[in-house]
Amino acid sequence: MAALLSRASLFRLSLLTACLAVVPGAIPAVAETDPPPGFETRVLPLLQAKCLACHGPQIQQGELDLSSLERLLEGGAAGPSVVPGSAERSLLFQKVEAGEMPLGQDPLSPGELEAIRRWIDRGALADGQDPGAFQARNDLKPAVTSHDVLAPILHVRCLICHGRRTQEAGLDLRTRASILKGGKSGPAMVPGKPAESLLLQRIQAEEMPPPKDFSRYCVRPVTSPELEKLRRWIADGAPETPSNGASRDSKGSTDRNDTADLWSFQPPSRPAAPRVAQSDRVRNPIDAFLLEKLEARGLGFAPPADRLALMRRAYLDLVGLPPTPDEVRAYHRDSDPQAYERLVDRLLDSAHYGERWGRYWLDAAGYADSEGKVHADNLRPHAYRYRDYVIRSFNDDKPYDRFLLEQIAGDELVDYRKLDSLTPDAVEPLIATGFLRMAPDGTWSGAQNFVPERLDVVADQVEVLSSTVMGLTLACARCHDHKYDPLPQRDFYRFSAILRSAYDPYDWLIPQEPLLAPAGGPFPKRLLRYGSEEELREVKRNNGPVEQEIKRLKRSLEEKAAPFKARLLREKREKIPEALQADVEAALKVAEDSRSQLQKYLVESFQEFLTVEPGELEKRFEEYREESAKVNEAVRKAENKLQRHPSIRALFDMPGEPTPNYLLIRGEHTRPGDAVEPGVPSALQAHTRPFRIRKPEWSSGRRLALAKWLGQPDHPLTARVMANRIWQHHFGRGLVATPGNFGKLGTSPSHPELLDWLATEFVRQGWSVKAMHRLIMTSGAYRQSSGNTGAGATNGHSENSLLSGFPLQRLDAEALRDSILKISGRLDPTPFGPADEVEVQEDGEVTSQCTTAGCRRSVYMLQRRTTPLTMLDTFDAPQLNPNCVKRSQSMVTSQALQLWNSRLARKSARHFAGRVIDAVGSDLESQVEQVYLAALSRWPTASERQAALREIGELDRYWSEHLDSHTPAEPKRSRARWLALSTFCHAMLNSAEFIFY
Amino acid sequence: MRSGNQARLGSTLPSRESAESGAPLPSRRELFSSLGNGFVGGALAYLLGRDLLSAQPLPADSGQAPDLKPRRPHFEPRAKSVIHLFMNGGPSQIDLFDPKPMLKKYEGQPPGRDLTNDVEQIASVGTLMPSPFEFQKRGRCGMEISEMLPFLSRKVDDIALVRSMFTKHFNHEPAIFLMQSGRTIVGRPSLGSWVVYGLGSENQNLPAYVVLDDPKMLPVNGLQNWQAGWLPPVYQGTRLKSEGSPLLNLKPKEEFPTPVLNMARSILTRLDGDHLHRHPGQPELQARITNYELAARMQIAASDALDLSQESPATHEMYGLNDEATASYGRRCLMARRLVERGVRMVQLYIEEQIWDQHSDLAGGLRYACGKTDKPVHALLTDLKQRGLWDSTLVVWGGEFGRLPLSQHPDKKAGRDHGPPGFSVWLAGAGIKGGTVYGATDELGHRAVENPVSVHDLHATILHLLGMNHRDLVYRREGRNERLTDEYPARVVNGILA
Repeated sequence: MAALLSRASLFRLSLLTACLAVVPGAIPAVAETDPPPGFETRVLPLLQAKCLACHGPQIQQGELDLSSLERLLEGGAAGPSVVPGSAERSLLFQKVEAGEMPLGQDPLSPGELEAIRRWIDRGALADGQDPGAFQARNDLKPAVTSHDVLAPILHVRCLICHGRRTQEAGLDLRTRASILKGGKSGPAMVPGKPAESLLLQRIQAEEMPPPKDFSRYCVRPVTSPELEKLRRWIADGAPETPSNGASRDSKGSTDRNDTADLWSFQPPSRPAAPRVAQSDRVRNPIDAFLLEKLEARGLGFAPPADRLALMRRAYLDLVGLPPTPDEVRAYHRDSDPQAYERLVDRLLDSAHYGERWGRYWLDAAGYADSEGKVHADNLRPHAYRYRDYVIRSFNDDKPYDRFLLEQIAGDELVDYRKLDSLTPDAVEPLIATGFLRMAPDGTWSGAQNFVPERLDVVADQVEVLSSTVMGLTLACARCHDHKYDPLPQRDFYRFSAILRSAYDPYDWLIPQEPLLAPAGGPFPKRLLRYGSEEELREVKRNNGPVEQEIKRLKRSLEEKAAPFKARLLREKREKIPEALQADVEAALKVAEDSRSQLQKYLVESFQEFLTVEPGELEKRFEEYREESAKVNEAVRKAENKLQRHPSIRALFDMPGEPTPNYLLIRGEHTRPGDAVEPGVPSALQAHTRPFRIRKPEWSSGRRLALAKWLGQPDHPLTARVMANRIWQHHFGRGLVATPGNFGKLGTSPSHPELLDWLATEFVRQGWSVKAMHRLIMTSGAYRQSSGNTGAGATNGHSENSLLSGFPLQRLDAEALRDSILKISGRLDPTPFGPADEVEVQEDGEVTSQCTTAGCRRSVYMLQRRTTPLTMLDTFDAPQLNPNCVKRSQSMVTSQALQLWNSRLARKSARHFAGRVIDAVGSDLESQVEQVYLAALSRWPTASERQAALREIGELDRYWSEHLDSHTPAEPKRSRARWLALSTFCHAMLNSAEFIFY
Repeated sequence: MRSGNQARLGSTLPSRESAESGAPLPSRRELFSSLGNGFVGGALAYLLGRDLLSAQPLPADSGQAPDLKPRRPHFEPRAKSVIHLFMNGGPSQIDLFDPKPMLKKYEGQPPGRDLTNDVEQIASVGTLMPSPFEFQKRGRCGMEISEMLPFLSRKVDDIALVRSMFTKHFNHEPAIFLMQSGRTIVGRPSLGSWVVYGLGSENQNLPAYVVLDDPKMLPVNGLQNWQAGWLPPVYQGTRLKSEGSPLLNLKPKEEFPTPVLNMARSILTRLDGDHLHRHPGQPELQARITNYELAARMQIAASDALDLSQESPATHEMYGLNDEATASYGRRCLMARRLVERGVRMVQLYIEEQIWDQHSDLAGGLRYACGKTDKPVHALLTDLKQRGLWDSTLVVWGGEFGRLPLSQHPDKKAGRDHGPPGFSVWLAGAGIKGGTVYGATDELGHRAVENPVSVHDLHATILHLLGMNHRDLVYRREGRNERLTDEYPARVVNGILA
């Protein structure tokens, strides 16, 4: 019987050998009796042909000289090139094997690679050198240590059942100690005795990980080299990896301290405003800093902007919508010298302000309503709560340090274990952690839930956090030390260790329910179930009857299945060897915990003959298949009617210690290096108060420590980066033009003193973003005209970075769409709540679904990665993969086509004309005036008025003459005028003056 | 240069003077026919778009606005245009391009641990399975090709077959991203975007990078396949539809009488002219006006390029337009030829979602996929040759991975699971040494072992044929020089070059 059970695996093993024999490049190790190959005869000729041009006596790229064995063993800047005895660990071999070397040439042939591999594996000896020389230096094969085995082989496969959350059979495979301790069946390993180690036995027999669970648990079988490694590790006594941290830090990848020359790593100073000649133009210190630079070039500010132009600028800038004609008229009449300042205050108080400025933050956070990565692009039904949180925070002028604290560590501020007792206000900080849940995450899909994909999610979040909050390109250090900034690779892993107590790649939570898998799969969801009372009532009201229906359907199917199931089991049991049938039957009759050892064994061995797996009945019985398909379809339909339980898409720490965090050599999870503790970039440590973890009762304290560290008032980056972002959105360009890169390769600040002054002022004003708006918008610089800011007027400085004139700006995608809707009276101002659906039209255009109340603002439209709203996409709304700190601005034909021909533009023009007629009646001159006020926030000039009257008149005549053929029943005259005015309005919505401000 | 061109074309658009002086507005027909002096045809549209445009150097970190002006490559190019026949889904090399007689010997045996490790859907894995199709030596070169590709079999002396491709992921999404953009993740610029970023376009009246997707269904990864990522959006692929209006919003959704449309244009011209006058020295504003003019020109140029009624009945027949099975792909192949003829730099053809993805019913699925594409592809190669476009057009045929030598769902009609470690692609046309077989997989057809070619190698080779060095085609972003091949090692596959 035992033979019967293992025949399959034996067969597989034998085939494996057959495969190895025929696969070139996988030649099994030959008996090592022949003399080891020598350097001069076997390797040097090859190096001469392929390598010495760059790594030879003349040139030593990377300080590496391969022309003699001695120099070769010494290595270069990256360390020794060869580890005698292990090609796999030798840089030289890694580089040629990966094809990275020889640079720009064909890779080495398999034969050449094999020659190098054998030479290194056999000790990297000189011709005729005594193998003993090598033996004496090293062990023949480098020891396999716990690093090589735990994370790369065991953690990636086993922890889902034998880890923190579950310890099936009492077994925990997280550490060497816990493996030794073992579980119900005793120690999982006997060091030195692989054959007696259960761990190895079960894996070797292909019982573990259980093949039937491969897909569900997202694991792959253990490969033969891995199995061999595991065997050797145990055989050698399961040695721990000695920490080689010190030696590593001494060469190449140290925590460098060469930050002296990086301006952004120094705490900001508080420079005094300079004295300038044109002091009459100085309204606040901002102007003094700017004028100083302009005057040095013999330049000054442009004349102040026209009053109404400035009003329009303030509206579009702060709320992303133009003023109504009545607001223009009222402001025009307002003679108060403080009228502009009061206007700015009014706009800052507007509920629309958060919708405009929150959107910028959502770009930086990478907000999206879908998971991305996988083609299905599952929606994130709960993400909107984070979007609303951001909008509210901006409207409330939440101090920026608090805003960061909540987003980075909200779950460490509020005890989420007591979720049910919390009020909606109290859960805000939990919602805020959605900031760290916005990266594309396809791990809900079994096919994309392996460790590398999980590491990608973490890396994306590190990128979002570092680029948005710190202006650092820390993600560059994932695979190697940062090439330009003082960010060693270790910093990336320090930083990701901060997230690890929530995002543990070996103890993973999936972002949401998988699409097709049954509920309650092996992976918990990274969601907190929470709803206000009202929300919960609504869900209950909706779901109650549906759930009843589903239960009924399932019960009916079970009833139908019962006889088939019995039949199948009968058939299966007959396949059990006859001699054993009676024993098995007997064993089954005994209760599980009182079975004898033998009975247990029998039941376990014949498991597959005693149970019916899902889908088996359908396969066996056609009658049942049809019935089951019908019922399951009905269940699916019903399930679609279920409302999801209201939840918070939050990030939260999991109880207990996360799995150890290693630096991953070249970013590969199969190659763990040193263990790395949570921490902040090393080069910043010299200029900041220490990163110190104080553990709250229910969480790790890691992110809390990060948020506190970031929020220290004189942090070199936090205030600078945010002040720069605010500046960027007012002037179209930051003082640092690369808002996500304050490193060496970023653009240096055009006005470093001004940036420092703003950063310190920001902190001084209690991190108030609105205070910064007031400061900037009341400056003389902001109030300049934008009349002539072309190259001539700026004396050659590129992109008008010195600001001799307000830089003309194009409405961004959202402001453009929202403004068109508002002008045409179609904007539904309802804020917040679940995202509005979008529709994919037959021609592929993605449009918004609007109600009779109109369309809501763009920030509330569904942002599914695969179906971006065409209007927004065309005007450069970014794809957030993972985030965007600066939008590009394109000028493409599709924009012209979109504004000229799209449904939105055409329909809006007719509505626009309709609203104008409603507002001012039939007088053409008043209509023209109203169009100008609504679209351009100004009165037309005399000649504009003239031209418009003539153009509309001509169109009016045309329609009057031709309308019969269109809609004979309607009043012709008024309809002709309306159509004529629509055409004029349509051109107006396409005009440069409408789109640039 | 460009401004001269604009001036000439612009002068035929309704001008401010004519509108203000109240002169009768030209009809739309007059307007557009005057563009081409009464001629309507590819050659003329091509000339209009390309004349007077001299080559510009590659875009550098100059801060200048991104555009599609033709640019000089790094060195003398072999190819001017690329037609990428992207066969998403994972065409089975074992059944189409890469005969493996050894599989007969191992037929029915279960896979070893290591082969199992490459299986995507482990639950359904079967046993080693030889191809049910016959291979025969074809052409003068004697390349062995499956009987499933009878048309391509006649062209083997013109193609270079790479049998040693490999990739890094066994799921469609990441593997397609890798093939399209050099990384398995979303968000990076696509190959086509890099090409037009590097070279611009020879025809300013048509998009530089055209995507012809299957009207039946978008491919996996949808619109993200031809994204420009963080390259300026002007380099994004433009989806031209092979049925109905070719370009989104190319025409208004409702018909307007010509005089109304002309007046609308004239009003806009006046408004923008006045605005430009008040804001002199603003290149963006001028560019915007040009943009509206280009939109108007594109209306004819795109419609004309995709108007297959201009082709002869013989051509229709050759591309299989009269046969339901081949008509859809045939139309797009023919459109691709018409587009490169007009100077479009990059044309990419996609195929309905998972046509090559035979997890089950291998034979039936391949019959369908080959039946749909084989004849049109043959016609395209033939047609490029007979029209003198062969030496300037590179054709690339291939998917994101291949398939495993194992059966899948052996209980039903068996298929094959995804096979990343080894697959085949072929290239033809400009700069390609026809009749070449390059590289090899192991004896099971599982893993590329001889002269393996990575996706980055393929990209480097395509760029090389277009006259660009993949290491020098860089875009500066947040202070860093980004490349299509990123930091990966990549080499030009010289063995397939003529």
